[in-house]
Amino acid sequence: MSETSAVRLDGITKSFGSSVAVDDVTLDIRPGEFFAMLGPSGCGKTTSLRMIAGFADPDSGSVLLGGEDVTYLPPNKRNVNTVFQSYAVFEHLSVADNVAFGLKRRGVPRDERRERVGRMLDLVQLTGMANRRPRTLSGGQRQRVALARALVNRPKVLLLDEPLAALDLKLRRQMQVELKQIQREVGVTFVFVTHDQDEALTMSDRLAVMNGGRVAQVGTPEDVYERPADAFVAGFIGTSNVMTGTYADGRLTLPGGVSLPVPSRLGLAAGSRVGAAVRPEKIWLSDFEDGMVQIRGTLRETVYSGATTTYLVEIAPGVQLSVLEQNIDRSRREERWTGGEIIDLAWKPEHCLLLCETA
Amino acid sequence: MRRAFSRRRKPWFAIAVTVAFFGMLYLPIVVVALFSLNSQKSLTVFKGFSLRWYRAFFADHDLIGSLGFSLRISAVAMIGSIVLGVALALGIVRSRGKLGSAAGLVLLIPLITPEIVTGVASAMLFKGVGLPLSSGTVMLAEVTFSISYVTVILRSRVAALNPEVEEAAMDLGCSRFQAVRLVTLPALLPAILASAILIFAMVFDDFVLAYFTTGVTPQPLPVRIYSAIRFGVQPTINAVGTLMLIGSIALIGLALLVPRLFGRRESLSQLL
Repeated sequence: MSETSAVRLDGITKSFGSSVAVDDVTLDIRPGEFFAMLGPSGCGKTTSLRMIAGFADPDSGSVLLGGEDVTYLPPNKRNVNTVFQSYAVFEHLSVADNVAFGLKRRGVPRDERRERVGRMLDLVQLTGMANRRPRTLSGGQRQRVALARALVNRPKVLLLDEPLAALDLKLRRQMQVELKQIQREVGVTFVFVTHDQDEALTMSDRLAVMNGGRVAQVGTPEDVYERPADAFVAGFIGTSNVMTGTYADGRLTLPGGVSLPVPSRLGLAAGSRVGAAVRPEKIWLSDFEDGMVQIRGTLRETVYSGATTTYLVEIAPGVQLSVLEQNIDRSRREERWTGGEIIDLAWKPEHCLLLCETA
Repeated sequence: MRRAFSRRRKPWFAIAVTVAFFGMLYLPIVVVALFSLNSQKSLTVFKGFSLRWYRAFFADHDLIGSLGFSLRISAVAMIGSIVLGVALALGIVRSRGKLGSAAGLVLLIPLITPEIVTGVASAMLFKGVGLPLSSGTVMLAEVTFSISYVTVILRSRVAALNPEVEEAAMDLGCSRFQAVRLVTLPALLPAILASAILIFAMVFDDFVLAYFTTGVTPQPLPVRIYSAIRFGVQPTINAVGTLMLIGSIALIGLALLVPRLFGRRESLSQLL
């Protein structure tokens, strides 16, 4: 690769006592990228972030920032800054002094400091709040202080540890858009830790899905959503219908003897237990086309939720598929069924994924 | 069957107990304050207002010397115990090993040990190591004794600190030591000031420990008052007592005010 990675984690491992938090993780994060680390709690994403920041030393492996090995450098010697989950705003300092803190430590002259702090406060929309005390600010404003305090130092990489988790839903949506705009404007590499898959998909250029201390998949949001690497990713990103059964010759046999065609895989022994996944929005209920996989099931439940309706259809004993339909005029059919009917559903073969491991 | 509780009837018994309690507590003090203003030497008959005992006190170089000495002991105990006590609180909370929790327990022993035991034991220790009792020994004893209070007060505040705040300081270019100085200590300042005032007030009127650990001269004020009383109570002592009372009230008031000066909701009682 001609371009040096902004951050490179090279086989880092970190254990706390007997539990392995991060297990041989290797990642390359490109300069200027908005990179998300996504996973359930305890998957090692925050520990990985702390090792980039310098708050934790890996047991083995190395951390490179812009090609330079910083594995054992203390946090104050690394050109990265962090936005903490709790914001960690300094309560005894004004908003302006909070933002100026890092510049002051680095001996930036007073005039330049004042000018940069002013511009940063404008960027995060805290103009006119320079002299306020943190305790008089709302959660969203405190978050902006934390962001400004980190960004004003012009770090090579900005690390964000679940920065939006403490905000209410509406503010979170607004900050998602704003963070993305700010990142475009300043061009700094953002490494963003989150457990919210929506957030990771909408904000990141690329993301790493982590599970049990390992990286399950790295790719663009589309890669990860459309082509999940394994059952975990398929289940964690968005919702998936995972059907578990016995594989033989490109067909999956479900409990009760129902059999359906799935993508064939070379080297997969007949009789292996595998899973097949189909996204709810990829399943059709009408106007089927040639070449689709068709199957028949019993409608168990209809859940109307405004813009969409979800149908739960049982295709084999104990195997329910959820089917998502947009409530555009054409397919608004709540009068169509009352429940209990036998209905047909279908999907295009390429929308069915065979998952290597069964969950 | 339960009788309906009548709200109209005054709880006379409770009122009587309360009045007796406050009477026992404060009447002697009121009497001392009143007789410090007596124009006569009598300690039983009030003849009229005068400031002569206050004048007598300020003219008494011996008593003034003791006052100055007590203020010095208090200042040394305050500064010494704050420096060591805050460091100890940080150490106990941050240490993950057994040593920290053991230290936290040992710390409570001075708080429950009868002061007379501490006093006698300290005196014997100084004698044992061949250290003659002096102004140095009383200061050493008071600093040691006060550390527990500071650490007990500060420990819960340190534990309540958000560890990410110190990390944020390091993230922004501080070494660990600078982070403590620039971020952690300012966050603890209200609790530090409140416990400093408390220690000052406690040590200033401490008698027992001071009595056993001080040298012959100068004597701390409470010890000086005690030896004066043995030769018959002088009205000057009433004046000294009243001044000490005013000073203590002022200090406690200040301690209560400190958290408000910082605009925090927490009050002294929460800090303690």
